[in-house]
Amino acid sequence: MTATQNKGIKVEGCGKGRANWHLFTELCKGCGLCITKCPINAKGEKCLQWSKEVGLYSTPAVQPDPEKCIACGTCELLCPDSAIRIERNK
Amino acid sequence: MPQQLDIAPKLPQAQNPEPGASKFCPGCGHGMILKTLAFAIDDLELHQRAVFGCDIGCSLLAWNYMNIDSVQTHHGRTTPVIYGVTRAVPDTVGIAYMGDGGGLAIGAQHLVNAAVRNEKMLVVMVNNTNYGMTGGQMAPTTLPGQITETTPYGRDVEASGKPARGAEMVSSLVDTDKAFVTRASVTNLRKLRTTFKKALTNVSEGRGFSFVEVLSICPLNWRTNNVTTWERIKSMEEYFEVKDFVVPQELEGVK
Repeated sequence: MTATQNKGIKVEGCGKGRANWHLFTELCKGCGLCITKCPINAKGEKCLQWSKEVGLYSTPAVQPDPEKCIACGTCELLCPDSAIRIERNK
Repeated sequence: MPQQLDIAPKLPQAQNPEPGASKFCPGCGHGMILKTLAFAIDDLELHQRAVFGCDIGCSLLAWNYMNIDSVQTHHGRTTPVIYGVTRAVPDTVGIAYMGDGGGLAIGAQHLVNAAVRNEKMLVVMVNNTNYGMTGGQMAPTTLPGQITETTPYGRDVEASGKPARGAEMVSSLVDTDKAFVTRASVTNLRKLRTTFKKALTNVSEGRGFSFVEVLSICPLNWRTNNVTTWERIKSMEEYFEVKDFVVPQELEGVK
């Protein structure tokens, strides 16, 4: 894996400061499946939403609201291109 | 601008990291299924024993996805190529990866005979109810009334029959003491990983044939967005029942 592929978005303090949320913009294709599957979005709140950054095909990437994200890992498990990584703080 | 991150993407060891983003369309189900299959291979540590074969169609884009020995075969002939490998080298865990065209249309004869002979291999059949690579034509699994390129008024059951149910067909052919036949879905990837582990365990212990049909999504050819894609696959799960059809007694405890 070359260093250029590790560019992306980092959202700190998800899940009440327990985890950091990362998205690799050179892997995200902007399909939006994670937005539909996010359990906080399903409750009617706005957690995982479209970002101002763009992904691989110049389509919008996604970004969570760190206040509402619970770092459950659904988006990480679901992403077809492994573009999302959640790293828990030790 | 995106910032430089200090960590790398979390990929399974059985996935090849060099190509970067996969060749599949945005939102394709193949990416999820192959990632889950690679994690299942990691769990069972089958990297040296596994041979991966992919078919013509969208599944051929997986030719450099895996970090294990791969072979790309022709029009529905993935099953015979892989059981040829497993007969020549008996310790091999053969994985034949195909779409619904390779499994139920052009490759149906090979699937039937491999199931009857109880070949020691895993067949993964990805069912997305159309032929994705050529632009979304009608497949054997297209749902009644579904609009595709070749059925612009919806699939007519009188003219072209009802959708083919792959897992039911295979479960009626196999040896019920040794084979593992199931249907899974990409809506529950944790369960899919357990299913792949059961199927790979069945093959690696030399028991017999494993068949996993996975209901998948195709947002580009279905013309659906992220919300309606999940609604469409829910309606698919009503027609294609998601359950285990044949489970050998030895596999009951595998998690």
